[in-house]
Amino acid sequence: MREEIERALKRSRADFTDIRIEQIWRTRIAFEGPHLENLETWSETGGIVRCRVGGGWGIAVFNTLDDLPERVADAERIARLVSAEQREHLEIPPAPPIQDEVRVSLKKDPRAIPLPEKLALVQRYNERMLKESPRIVSTQAAYADTFRVVTIANSEGTFIVQECPDTTLLLAALAREDTNIQRAWEMLGEAAGFELVEGQEEKAEKAARRALDLLRARPVQGGVYTVIVNPELAGVLIHEAFGHLCEADFLAKNPAMRQLLTPGRTVGSPELNVVEDGYLPGRRGNAPYDDEGTPRRRVYLIRNGVLEGFLHSRETAARMGGQPTGNARAISYQYEPIVRMRNTYIDRGQATFEEMLRGVEHGVYACGFVGGNTGLGQFTFSAAYAYEIVHGEIGEMLREVVLTGNIFETLHHIDRIGDDLSIYGGAGGCGKEEQQGLPVTLGGPHVRIQNLTVGGRTA
Amino acid sequence: MKKTLTAKEVLARLPAGAEGELYEVHRQVRPLLFRSGTLESLRSTETAGRALRVIVDGRLGFSTTTDLDDGNTLIRNALDSAQYGETAGFHFPSPLGGSEVSCFDPGVESLSDEEMVAIGKEVIARINAEFPQVQVHVGVRREVEEVYLLNTSGLESSSRRTLFQLQVAAQVVGEQDIFFVTDEAISRRRQDVSPSSLVENILRLLQWSERTASLPSGKMPVVFQGMATATLLLPFLYGLNGRDVYQHTSPLSDFLGRPAFDPRFTLVDDGRLPFAYLSSPTDDEGIPTSRKVLVQEGVVRQFLYDLKTAALAGASSTGNGYKGQGPFGGDFRRRPDVAPSSWLIAPGEKRLEEILGNLDQALLVEEVLGLGQGNVVAGEFSNNVELGFLVRRGEVAGRVKNTMIAGNAYELLRDHLLALGDRPRWVMGWLYTPAIVLDRVNVVSG
Repeated sequence: MREEIERALKRSRADFTDIRIEQIWRTRIAFEGPHLENLETWSETGGIVRCRVGGGWGIAVFNTLDDLPERVADAERIARLVSAEQREHLEIPPAPPIQDEVRVSLKKDPRAIPLPEKLALVQRYNERMLKESPRIVSTQAAYADTFRVVTIANSEGTFIVQECPDTTLLLAALAREDTNIQRAWEMLGEAAGFELVEGQEEKAEKAARRALDLLRARPVQGGVYTVIVNPELAGVLIHEAFGHLCEADFLAKNPAMRQLLTPGRTVGSPELNVVEDGYLPGRRGNAPYDDEGTPRRRVYLIRNGVLEGFLHSRETAARMGGQPTGNARAISYQYEPIVRMRNTYIDRGQATFEEMLRGVEHGVYACGFVGGNTGLGQFTFSAAYAYEIVHGEIGEMLREVVLTGNIFETLHHIDRIGDDLSIYGGAGGCGKEEQQGLPVTLGGPHVRIQNLTVGGRTA
Repeated sequence: MKKTLTAKEVLARLPAGAEGELYEVHRQVRPLLFRSGTLESLRSTETAGRALRVIVDGRLGFSTTTDLDDGNTLIRNALDSAQYGETAGFHFPSPLGGSEVSCFDPGVESLSDEEMVAIGKEVIARINAEFPQVQVHVGVRREVEEVYLLNTSGLESSSRRTLFQLQVAAQVVGEQDIFFVTDEAISRRRQDVSPSSLVENILRLLQWSERTASLPSGKMPVVFQGMATATLLLPFLYGLNGRDVYQHTSPLSDFLGRPAFDPRFTLVDDGRLPFAYLSSPTDDEGIPTSRKVLVQEGVVRQFLYDLKTAALAGASSTGNGYKGQGPFGGDFRRRPDVAPSSWLIAPGEKRLEEILGNLDQALLVEEVLGLGQGNVVAGEFSNNVELGFLVRRGEVAGRVKNTMIAGNAYELLRDHLLALGDRPRWVMGWLYTPAIVLDRVNVVSG
């Protein structure tokens, strides 16, 4: 295959050409209630060519490798069309060519585990949830393993082959009492093998018990609160509140946004440090190279409360006078790489959890996450479960806790950062534009935020 | 050994007694993206895939491949998974007839790259002519798809489908404020996607956004319009799904034939509207699509089923077995599952302007953030108002900021429906709905 790729690259007359080929193996197992809903294994191969001519990209996607030269010609033709529409012809500085082969060693390569063994494990977790109580009316136990071998080659002489494993488990339980229906879950996700999902009975039990607990929880009263978010939710907060904003493709061509986000601007309290780290081996989204072949880096988005860096592809780096950071990622060969996060977290601070609770007269302790969303100015993120804080103590369980903030205020309102950093990879992923479900990890310590708006019932 | 097999040959090679269903799709997709007014990329995607579902000894097996030259591996993977697969409870259907539904527009197929670029440029120019500072991002996409569906019960069908989509996002960046005004249209027919009406809608919303207004927290009338209507209708994807009903996780499971909503609320699932995004002659299991009333004047009349769920529940498939069809897109890699066709909400009789004119104060919500978060199964929503306006006696006072809305969609549509607008419009190519006006929605202003 290497020869074919190199030959096709040589024949391209574009300013720059890269080819990415992926081989993918995948297994999915899903139970819903007592029923097996999905059991499948598949493999596929596909590729994408990008040509750059005079500042415009032309892209061709395919899943038969027979006519690679034709696809390159296709991408080149499209690039010329796009090029004609450019107001300026931005040149991307050449990158030093890299030749590398990255093989992972997994304790238990999922491709070598027989299907019945995987199935039995997922079934056991599912049954564990179902037997917790007759009020558990349904469950979802979903396992997925994906093993991708990605080849990245370009006209500058780079040729990289890297293996990217990804294994996830979702255990969700649905409890019902009359019209009260509550769902709770536990998730796992890492760039690991089958060993990750073994011995997780406790998670099944936790999910089922929490669903039952939520039946007794009160819907939160809407209002403005002092909120302590747990490490998992702190990760979602920073991913939505600031991570996306630092993705330079949102900024590069947008002068108003660049003016707003000038490095050196104070965006939060001096204790706030936010890191996007390519160096967390074993974490979801972690890989030595991005989908343009740029080596991973560690970037401070915020250092001591001050905006420091952005996440770049080669193009956005060239446009903004920065360095590529290894954040050009694609969910599969069907898409071109765009600027994405990998492992984004708030770095640890000094406060203990007890110190955070102190002085909170009426607040919310929000834990776990349902999801998050950003409009770049405003953002929202939702807790899987929560507790009220009364006179500095944890009180009753709350549900339906959805929080909202905006980038101009919320980070300034973070007044305590915990000393207990943890990082999570879930079973879902991050979505941006047409590319949904990209593996990422997120995290942080416990974080306290003043004056945060919580949606909910009003008097 | 690789061996090129046609779709028919794959089915012919299944062992005696095994049932099979082969779905094959060939797709050509052209998406192009303008970012901040400049054409950024154009992609040409040409892919093909096959999915094989088998029933062996009453158990289901499934596999997919993109390698059409390797039929044998596909067969082996599907048969392997059938050894451990779940009980099917159904047979692949014989041809059930069903008339054609228009899904192909040569006007979409022949649309050139240059024409798509021109559409994007015109949208940007028209918005920037009135709002020069606004950053306009545009996506234009065309798709041509050929779908073959065959099974061992004699079903053999093929259909060509087109799709055309235009998405526009106008981004306003102020010193203390960033927000988007968006709109989109998607149809199988080019003429249904009108760049002008998208531009006009966006210009109207941008004008309304020039002022801001603040409102107090409390319960108040809220108008859900455009994209925001999905906040209320998303729970019904679960509530009317035959599997949720069978598992008793739907709050509507006990309401078949009984009133659950205001008598003005009627919801229809229609898989046969000519050229609609979610229309096709049959679903992805070969069952003819249909038009059925799910909620009639507040009474729950019908739930949605695919073959497997229908077998479990002792019901019949409603022609809603899709490979992930719905507002979130489909894929041959997925198994058929219960999914909606186009959903139509019956309109009311009054103009929205008239309804708003009779309200002292209302919040008009066009877009929300965080759709689908929260306890959707129970009907709960709690969302940030990404784009919403305070309206007093029919006059738009200005855009609201830092505002959340919350409530239970099922309860609000039962007890607090104030009115439905008289002009339905398409939302995400899935909903055809008028503005929905509800009273006593929780509003929290930060």
